[in-house]
Amino acid sequence: MNPLIEQVFYVYFFISLTILSIAVIASKNIIHSAFFLLIFLLHVAAIFLFLNAEFLMIIQIIVYVGGVLALFIFAIMIMNIKEEFRHKRFVKFSIAGLITGFLFLAGLYIFLGTVKSPENVLIKSDVNSLGKLLYSYYFLPFEILSLVLLIAMVGGIIIAKKTPFDREGK
Amino acid sequence: MIPLSWYLLLSATLFSIGLIGFVIRRDLIVMLMCLEIMFNAVNIAFASFSYYNSNLTGQIFVLFSIAVAACEAVIGLAIVLALVRNTGINHSDEIVNLRG
Repeated sequence: MNPLIEQVFYVYFFISLTILSIAVIASKNIIHSAFFLLIFLLHVAAIFLFLNAEFLMIIQIIVYVGGVLALFIFAIMIMNIKEEFRHKRFVKFSIAGLITGFLFLAGLYIFLGTVKSPENVLIKSDVNSLGKLLYSYYFLPFEILSLVLLIAMVGGIIIAKKTPFDREGK
Repeated sequence: MIPLSWYLLLSATLFSIGLIGFVIRRDLIVMLMCLEIMFNAVNIAFASFSYYNSNLTGQIFVLFSIAVAACEAVIGLAIVLALVRNTGINHSDEIVNLRG
């Protein structure tokens, strides 16, 4: 691909990702920030496509956009939040948070200015070799991850279940 | 060809924006969304390291990170739902039960 076109697309994704993530934390209605987060996750999937990681793009779209965002939107609909208009949106010391974040960003920029990119890049990544690596060398973390997912599912059901308010020993 | 530092700058920018949002908002659900933004920034850094080192380990760590982020979203939303259902509180400044 022509490198100029590639860089133009990269700059577009940089600007749109920044604007979308600012819109997530600055929008007044909470369902609007959920939908801004949806477009943000789709742009991150496009960034994965830039990095020759097609499998990660599919996983990002299926898990995040199909699972986590649906969970967020269902939770917002269940809670029926109207208290946003009673309160102020930001905390009192939000200036301190902004200064902390900008100092962190400035430190990272100074640190990242000297990064050199190596020559040998990943030419193409097939799902076959990724699965072989996952099922041979990273097999134990994969199994532990399945247990973590199971425990999170059971714990989420138990925490969110509607419990009877007064029990018998009252 | 895009150099490596561009992707790292994108990751740093998104992580800082998520950090700022986590500090200055008081909605519990928006704080969880800012956690998702920070997870995605770190995933971009992992995938770019995987690309520029021609090594697939970074992509496997992105898989693990996505699964842990899904667990975190499930548990966090369940806790927020239990709080709203039992006390009617949605803001992090009003949770003062443990203050004594």
